Amino acid sequence: MNQRKSKAQSPKPKGKEQHGSPNSGTVGPRKLSLAEWDGRYEELIRAGLREPGYGGPLRRHVLLEGDLRLRQLRFDDSATALRLWNFLLTENQRLHAARAQGEKIVGTMKDLGTVPVMAYALPGLRAFYPDGAWWTPCLMECSDGLLQQAEQLGIDASFCPVRAMLPAFQNGEHFPRPDALICSTGAVCDDFSAIAQRLEKMGFPIVWWEIPRRRPPDQGETACALPGELCAPQVQVDCVRTELERVGQVLSGLAGQPLDTGTLARGIRKANQVRRLLANLRRVVYTSPGAPLPALELLVAEMLAIHFCSDREETIGVLTDLLAEAEARLRRKQFVVDEAAVRVFWVNPVADLRAMNLLEDWGGRVCGSDYMFTHALDLIPEDLPPLEALARTALADPMVGSARERARRIVADCRAGRAEAVVISRIPGASHCAREGALIREVVRADLGIPTIEFEVPPICDAMLPTLASRLQAVLEIAKARR
Amino acid sequence: MEVFYTSPWVPPEWIKAHGLEPRGIWLARDFACEPLPLASGVCAFANAVVRMAERHAESAVIFTTHCDQLRRGFDTVVGAAAPRVFLFNLPVTWQTPVAERIYADELRRLGRFLMGLGGHAPEAMALIEIIGQYSQGRQRLIEAAPWCPARAYAEAVGRFHLDGAVHLPQENRYRSAPGAGSIPLALVGGPLSRAQMASLDAIEKAGGRVVLNATEAGERSLWPDFPLDDAQIGTAERSVYAAETSVDQPGQASAGMVSLPGSCSVNDALLARLARGCLANCVDVFQRPNTRLYDWLRERLTARQVRGIVLWHYVGCDLWRAEAQPMREAFGLPVVLLDADEAAPNRNTGRLEAFLESLR
Repeated sequence: MNQRKSKAQSPKPKGKEQHGSPNSGTVGPRKLSLAEWDGRYEELIRAGLREPGYGGPLRRHVLLEGDLRLRQLRFDDSATALRLWNFLLTENQRLHAARAQGEKIVGTMKDLGTVPVMAYALPGLRAFYPDGAWWTPCLMECSDGLLQQAEQLGIDASFCPVRAMLPAFQNGEHFPRPDALICSTGAVCDDFSAIAQRLEKMGFPIVWWEIPRRRPPDQGETACALPGELCAPQVQVDCVRTELERVGQVLSGLAGQPLDTGTLARGIRKANQVRRLLANLRRVVYTSPGAPLPALELLVAEMLAIHFCSDREETIGVLTDLLAEAEARLRRKQFVVDEAAVRVFWVNPVADLRAMNLLEDWGGRVCGSDYMFTHALDLIPEDLPPLEALARTALADPMVGSARERARRIVADCRAGRAEAVVISRIPGASHCAREGALIREVVRADLGIPTIEFEVPPICDAMLPTLASRLQAVLEIAKARR
Repeated sequence: MEVFYTSPWVPPEWIKAHGLEPRGIWLARDFACEPLPLASGVCAFANAVVRMAERHAESAVIFTTHCDQLRRGFDTVVGAAAPRVFLFNLPVTWQTPVAERIYADELRRLGRFLMGLGGHAPEAMALIEIIGQYSQGRQRLIEAAPWCPARAYAEAVGRFHLDGAVHLPQENRYRSAPGAGSIPLALVGGPLSRAQMASLDAIEKAGGRVVLNATEAGERSLWPDFPLDDAQIGTAERSVYAAETSVDQPGQASAGMVSLPGSCSVNDALLARLARGCLANCVDVFQRPNTRLYDWLRERLTARQVRGIVLWHYVGCDLWRAEAQPMREAFGLPVVLLDADEAAPNRNTGRLEAFLESLR
């Protein structure tokens, strides 16, 4: 019934999605509904598909895990996309299995990409982001009741959906209770800081580490180059490095093994392997004439960078497959979204994954992104002492610097991806969204003169489809008219 | 030149020692005195600070990083007003040497900014004297907290932040009449501007009495005295002379001196002591963990027999809003939330009346 109702609300796709390439003469890639994926899965199995241990039909996530939102999403039809989705949606099981095997679970919070590099450098540690629970209400279409439970804990809808993390900790149904919780604090968003503090008061001790607000070096100060063509004074890097040393001691204690320079350097090289794969994947997908992979799958793929979805080696396998698929499609000129689609740079992750489908349905495609963790995509310098390199990378976090600096990178990436419009999706209740959107738009308009739009995407955006459609379509039409 | 600061954890002593006039923003004459257009989700206090920075071309404004809204408010104003605005990085952690280092480094950087505004290099003895004066002022205000009427007290502390002066009503008029029949309350939360002082009257009118003002620029902002021992003063005296010879030789300052090209001349030990004193006495919601706020409140809530907490917060202030339930649980007291930027004061009055009625 829900599905029927949602279908009635769904807009008719405006973009010309190619269901086969005239040049290739073969059946080209396309996006499938969950129902269509049932048949596709059978087809792949008949064709001899070999899957990893976490494989299986997508529908089982709806039936067994209650990931009801999958019924509203449209997925890439490749076996590699299937592997990606299955990998993403089995993380909880992976963590429980690791715990059962005696591994230690580290809950890393807020820094998005730094502490997991350290944790995965040590044997027997698995790091994950409880922050990821912010997508649970979306995936489960709020059937989990996490947001309502958060409200009962005094964290209402004026906070960002990451509040779902609180009851998830309390009920223990979404991830195992971590052996340690490590949270960056300082120049982080107030929502997260307040929610994490609430968590600590609920009896989950937290190791806090300070990430100062990044600032440009003053005259006479020693400047330090950061990834992402950023710069900070050496004193700030020194402080972050000292804090990371402290975090390293906590991790060493958990692992029962020191996190020495060699161990961390190896961890950084592995993390960079993931980052290189992602950089190539983004380049291939974002700069190609049409989109060889859909925006939704790219968003999920980018998310793998921050903590490897609790399995670093498998992340490398998943990304290698995706890259191969994207390159093959590009060679065959087979695109999921064709060349006529408006090239959009997307800012901030969406609380409802469906929004990424909708952009393509309405005639756009993503040609660049800043999902708030660009520092987790940049290579960690390998020619520096490892902790220094990680400290510099942590300080390159787009959210700890000024909105103007973030905007400058967006402008550069817009140029690289030949963006025709910028979409800023606001996160409901997020304190940083109140001002930064306006600043980013101001810089983009001044430097590029392309249309920009900002709107809020709630965890379930179905009720807002008419509003979203009119705003998004308006900006896409303006961009098209400028061609 | 007037230098407005937006957090009580930026020491006015340091500004004053540079020959400039520190002005706590809360009671500034034209601060938050008019309704301003607000974009969705923007904090009215941060917005008012931004407007103040834009409007006061002849003054400087120090923003702090302790909340997202102020931090990002700085981003909006820095382009046009860059030479007059400063973002002070307030560490959120407090139990590590790094926090102290960040704070001390920010004081140095603030010093350079103040020098750029036309301030002079602080002399160590002058700084010590100013610290002493401010400490005395704070101490007088701390001692007045238990007897001084709420409105008069809030204004006295606000005035102290504004110009360093202490103006208290006559003690003997109030010592014997502690507000018989009214319910003792704590007002806890974010900043209270001049225009919002009427809220204290509203509480009184509803039958309550604020015996603990723990708003941003209330009693909570008054650090107890932190003594500078003789050794530090001695070092500081020596450093004055050392500084006089080194100030024109950037990077040539003697060991233990703050090496600021063409800038201030306070020795590292004194600066570190000031930083340590400020940081050690910082009691605020943004700290992680924020246990010190709870310890500070617990002691005073008990001593003053508080029966209820009024949580004063700006719409969208996650840091304070998130504390309502933990405060209920930690202190076993009823808590009512009051919107600081409530458009209709009547709604606040109604909430207060209902709250106090339930406490009778």
